[in-house]
Amino acid sequence: MIKLFRVSKVYPPNNPALTDIHLHVEKGEFIFINGPSGAGKSTLLRLLFREEEASEGQIIVNGRNITRLNGPGVARLRQALGLVFQEYRLLPNMSALENVALAAEVVGMSRKESRRRAFHLLRELGLKDKHDARPPTLSGGEQQRVAIARALVNDPILVLADEPTGNLDAEMAEETMRLFLKIHEKGTTIMIATHDTGLLRRFKHRVVVLQRGRLTADSKSAGAGTVP
Amino acid sequence: MKLSRISFVFRRVVKSLRELVWTHVLTSGTMAMTLFIFGGFLLVQQNLHGLLRGWGRQIQVFAYVDNGISPADVESLAEQVRAYPEVESVRFVSKAEAWESFKKGLGSQSGVLEGLSPDILPASLEIGLQKAHRQRASVALVAQRLRGVKGISEVEYPDEWLDKLSLLVLGVQWAKWILGGFLFLATLLIVGSTVKLAILARKEEIEIMQLVGAPAGLIKVPFVIEGMVQGIAGASLALLLLWLLYLFVRHQLPASLGILPPGDQLQFLDASAISLLVFLGWLLGAGGSLFSLRRFLKTW
Repeated sequence: MIKLFRVSKVYPPNNPALTDIHLHVEKGEFIFINGPSGAGKSTLLRLLFREEEASEGQIIVNGRNITRLNGPGVARLRQALGLVFQEYRLLPNMSALENVALAAEVVGMSRKESRRRAFHLLRELGLKDKHDARPPTLSGGEQQRVAIARALVNDPILVLADEPTGNLDAEMAEETMRLFLKIHEKGTTIMIATHDTGLLRRFKHRVVVLQRGRLTADSKSAGAGTVP
Repeated sequence: MKLSRISFVFRRVVKSLRELVWTHVLTSGTMAMTLFIFGGFLLVQQNLHGLLRGWGRQIQVFAYVDNGISPADVESLAEQVRAYPEVESVRFVSKAEAWESFKKGLGSQSGVLEGLSPDILPASLEIGLQKAHRQRASVALVAQRLRGVKGISEVEYPDEWLDKLSLLVLGVQWAKWILGGFLFLATLLIVGSTVKLAILARKEEIEIMQLVGAPAGLIKVPFVIEGMVQGIAGASLALLLLWLLYLFVRHQLPASLGILPPGDQLQFLDASAISLLVFLGWLLGAGGSLFSLRRFLKTW
């Protein structure tokens, strides 16, 4: 699903964020990218959804080299991904339903079908009575669930989540993680960047550790489910 | 474009116009004020041209005919002058008509003419010139030619007045380009900044649309349409204000000031100037949006 070959990212003038990253993620895998703040976790994700361009190396997502893409290519890539962020990134002037349906409508789905899917997803994520609510009136956990519903509305091949529990209390964080597990059970590849080692202990999955932009450990080589 | 996309764009435009009504009102209002100033300049410039044209129509060469010339000779003289390429019209003013006109011109002081013979003033030909020849060189040439014609005793034309008028026409032409160009640039800058600020307020929306994979065209089109609506609304408001200003000035400007030639009155913007203002509003709205979006829309 994801292949990174000797990928580096250097911000001008000469600040290396990622150095010589080699990483293979299989289809249907659940992987945590762990490391302290500034380790390069978010940069890695940003390379995968092409918010940033790699300075060196090659990145393959779902069999397609995304290292060099033009505007329409980036749009098509993102239509196939589900993105979740720590700060939710919802449009405050739209209802929960409209926020979710928006992602379906921009890929060309009809309004009726987009809203039907959005409604179904929100109900599935426990937001049945909140579909008309605007994000500022929802709790952090509810907003994150709306963001997850938006990430899932186009049946993505891969979900990338950057610190999705960073703004949530322990109970909400647990609940959000269970949602990701549920999505994973349906066969979707999940990659979550987090600095929270507690999450890694509770949810035993592959863990890749980044430190100062270098990949320093991968639980896959040490036996799946262990925290390196 | 797919029907679902057209419907999506239309809904986004309607939603934005409805929900961000004050942002749009403010942007359109700024456009209206700026276009009002530019339109005001066009209005002044257009009327000044009209005024100069009117004054130009008043430029005439007076050819006084010899005393005792027969009506048949006068007619043949008029025909001869009418054949000049610079001449637009020739009117014969008899001695009696000249006397009456002079008397009328003196008004209440016409009593000073008592005791004078009505045939004291000479008969003349009032010669109007073609528009292209209402300038000093052509007028002097026609006068020169008339002086050599048998039956014409004297030729007169307002040469000092012609110099001033030529200078004024030149000044207005320069002002049109310099002041007009300056105002046009100011309009571009002010409207451009206003549209940019309005789009800056929606930066997050643009970023999120891009994150969920919206193609650049789908993000741009609603903004451009909104810009067009703002521009056309701004231009329409500017035209309405200009119309009110025009009515006010026309009503307040007393005819007795004598600025306007007889029969003339202030004119509102002509069709081409109105079209220019609406087109400018449309262009600034759409172009400003497109230009500002380039700053916030990430490109690869």
